[in-house]
Amino acid sequence: MPRNTRCFTLLLVITGLIMSSCSVPSSEHVVLLPVKDDPTISFRIWFKVGSQNDPEGKEGLAALTASLMTEGATEKRSYDEIIEAMYPMAAGYGSSVDKDMTVIVGRVHRDNIEEYYGLLTDALLHPAFREEDFDRIRSNMRNGIEKGLRYANDEELGKAAFYNLVYEGTRYGHLETGTLSSLDAITLDDVRAFYQKWYTRENVVIGLGGGYDNSLVSRLESDLQTLPEGAAQQPDPPAPMPIEGLEMLVVEKECDATAISFGFPISVLRGDEDFYALALFNSWFGEHRNSSSHLYQVIREARGMNYGDYSYIEIFPNGGRRQMPAPNNARRQQLFEVWLRPVQHAHRHFALRAAMRELQLVIDNGLTEEQFELTKKFLDKYALQYAKTTSDRLGYAVDSKFYGITGDYIELFRRKIAALTREQVNDAIRRHLRTDRVKFAVVTSDAESFKNALVANAPSPVTYDTPKPPEVLEEDMIISTYALPFSEENIRILPVDDMFR
Amino acid sequence: MQPIDALRLSPGPIKGVLVKPIIQIMLAITLAGGALMPAGGPLRAAPGGDGVFPFATETHTLDNGLRVILIPISGGGLMSYYSVVRTGSRDEYEPGRTGFAHFFEHMMFRGTKNYPAALYDRTVTGMGADANAYTTDDLTAYHLSFASSDLETVIRIESDRFQHLDYAEGPFQTEAGAVYGEYRKNRTSPWEVLFEALQAKAFSRHTYGHTTMGFEADIKAMPTMYAYSKEFFNRYYRPENVVLLLAGDFDSAAALALIRKHYGEWKKGYVPPQVPAEPEQTAERRIAVRYDGRTLPLLVVGYKGQRFDPSDRLMVAGSMLDDLLFGETSDIYQKLVLQEQSVEFISADFGFNRDPGLWNIYAMVKDPAGVPAVLEEIDRTVAAYLDRPVTASKLENLKKRLKYSFLMNLDTPDKVAGRLARFVAITGGIEAVDTLYRAYDAVTAGDIQQAVATYLSPKRRTVVTLKGRD
Repeated sequence: MPRNTRCFTLLLVITGLIMSSCSVPSSEHVVLLPVKDDPTISFRIWFKVGSQNDPEGKEGLAALTASLMTEGATEKRSYDEIIEAMYPMAAGYGSSVDKDMTVIVGRVHRDNIEEYYGLLTDALLHPAFREEDFDRIRSNMRNGIEKGLRYANDEELGKAAFYNLVYEGTRYGHLETGTLSSLDAITLDDVRAFYQKWYTRENVVIGLGGGYDNSLVSRLESDLQTLPEGAAQQPDPPAPMPIEGLEMLVVEKECDATAISFGFPISVLRGDEDFYALALFNSWFGEHRNSSSHLYQVIREARGMNYGDYSYIEIFPNGGRRQMPAPNNARRQQLFEVWLRPVQHAHRHFALRAAMRELQLVIDNGLTEEQFELTKKFLDKYALQYAKTTSDRLGYAVDSKFYGITGDYIELFRRKIAALTREQVNDAIRRHLRTDRVKFAVVTSDAESFKNALVANAPSPVTYDTPKPPEVLEEDMIISTYALPFSEENIRILPVDDMFR
Repeated sequence: MQPIDALRLSPGPIKGVLVKPIIQIMLAITLAGGALMPAGGPLRAAPGGDGVFPFATETHTLDNGLRVILIPISGGGLMSYYSVVRTGSRDEYEPGRTGFAHFFEHMMFRGTKNYPAALYDRTVTGMGADANAYTTDDLTAYHLSFASSDLETVIRIESDRFQHLDYAEGPFQTEAGAVYGEYRKNRTSPWEVLFEALQAKAFSRHTYGHTTMGFEADIKAMPTMYAYSKEFFNRYYRPENVVLLLAGDFDSAAALALIRKHYGEWKKGYVPPQVPAEPEQTAERRIAVRYDGRTLPLLVVGYKGQRFDPSDRLMVAGSMLDDLLFGETSDIYQKLVLQEQSVEFISADFGFNRDPGLWNIYAMVKDPAGVPAVLEEIDRTVAAYLDRPVTASKLENLKKRLKYSFLMNLDTPDKVAGRLARFVAITGGIEAVDTLYRAYDAVTAGDIQQAVATYLSPKRRTVVTLKGRD
């Protein structure tokens, strides 16, 4: 292409960080993120409903309903006609359903806004809920559980098992896509009733970002006034069951490597003072897919045991594919989670011990001044990477609305991190983290022998195919006998075919 | 609805709309991970329409052959820095060395005398940079996204490791263990099993016959290849074989001066790989593979594609057939996915490659007995396009889609640079983007018909079916 010839204003829209854009004060039901020179328009329409609102025995209903709205026909158009209309625009819309929130996400080039707007609002206001769409989507959801999750992705299987375990017995305690039997129990009438109850004008928050025209805001507000009426009562946030010591669910299946997740619920949410202290700790301990984080250094870098080792203080869906957290998984109850990517079966006990020991060490000793300062410096800039696009920033703004935070969240986060002291961080670690009451989900083969080894606290020495420095080998001696007080009754073994039934 | 981002597979995590993650995971796992990309695979920027690449660019070539492409985009304070090595698994022509390009990518994080691994990590951490790398068939890319004020530091550490990489045998062997772990992680996906079989069957001589991850036996033997790793570095990590791609909020002149200063002494010495040419395929190949796990049956039909050459209108027309014949608005999609619901999905990806790679059509079939019918339907689809030309409106819609897809996905410096990386790897520059744009515009219904006749002939294809355990 010709050099030095083109410099359109379009270039100003490298979206995430345009400082010239300013947030217009948003009303109760509107979140705006205008970016004047952005040639695209982003939608995030938040409905205050999620998988926590699935009726008992009909788990998956929230996800199925949202999918039918965004992957099915409307009263005016069949689904194939919708696809046909979207095709030249290279645009689309989709749904994201988490425990507490459902967000209809869309984005379009502003050249095409008129046509797109009609399609999007049609999907929101006049979904057809047709039998053939219902069958197709439900079948895909079933296959996703039965064939995909159980058998084709042990990492996601381990994490899903862990989340269900942590929230067992609560409204958070099932997959967003439900179970095989609950999906079978759902009828199209259930979907229609769910839509009528939850997709109401009182329950919607409009998120709009990018290069939209101001008139679009009032138009959308006015159009969404034709949603069904009614304000459904939200259930209380889940109160996870107290954890008794170390509790483990072993999902047994034939597999070549062991996937491990563990953690526990925490009471801290975005917006709380302790959240930022824990965020700094977590970044040091296990920043997602970041090789400088501590767990990664210990298990992957020094020992080459697996592909990566991370920790979280907020849910992080699709961690296997995403580098940065996805917005719109805001929750009223969060958890601390450690995720060890698959290790050889021979290393499973050792890797588990290593991770638990590191957690105990940081609880006991806190971060050093150097670790604290480096992480602070890291996060100050790394936080800019969390939301680079208009759509992601809009997602964060919607989440802020959920958490009752005002102003730009990333900026708030950076300010809070900058103001932290090491004492605050170490104090928060001591108050919120622990190693004595923890839940574990492990996907592995030969579960019985793993259980026996855990209960017996049997030493788990490791050998390596390749030489390791003496300091690593010395530490290995300590790790391989590190005591984890598992008791027999606290370890359950479940064949994979019994998962998500 | 699957948004276009999720269909046009990019090397990074799929951004934007996420529809029911679990269902998409199966496809995404195989296609979205850099190291897993099959030959003929994704990362295809899809420009179209007016031929408008909306940013000013500068290209410079240093005396040692290092090319530098600068795309300054004011505002925001962030930028992206790509070091594109024009070497990928395609270059692994020696027996026993499959997977080495990807493995070597890992070694590039093992430090130098000036910046041992821990100091490199600490420096990147101190900048709060989002730093990573990926390897595919035709390239290895190292990329950082960071605050522009740190550009000088980035140039210093990146130029240092590309010129002075230095690691001992111990860490080398440890890293080999991590790569084997990555292989094990990937192998739980049936797609990985499928691609390994497809590529091995489709190519008898060319290096596209193995995946970027490599064969398991070669991966297991990696700890013994320390000496070879030095040779690999000396051959391929040379200025003539690397292109720097900078996009974002920076000053071109200052950036160029720093690059000259820090990369100027880098010595030439690139030794091109002796990649064997693939003989022309003369008959259809078929293979059935078993997957030692449970999955719905998978079908992939891989046609021998064409080497990327945007001045070849037939090749360009051929690359448009994936979306046209098998995309969401195609007759086959409507019939199998929406009406009969006999497949969970069908999609195709006719990507850009340095040598003729594979243009693949994928389907996940609901009933094992239904696989032959899907293949027949694919044949019917091809036959229909041979019989009658594509309608003008359908072709126009496709061109429009390509244009908007391109424009809508340039919304961060990372994405700008990321979209260009494969063009850079294949052609050495980004001029091909504009040429491709013009070529899309010029494609006629006749070109499409000729492309179908030329490329989608059964004798050019390899058909792989995969079945899991009952």
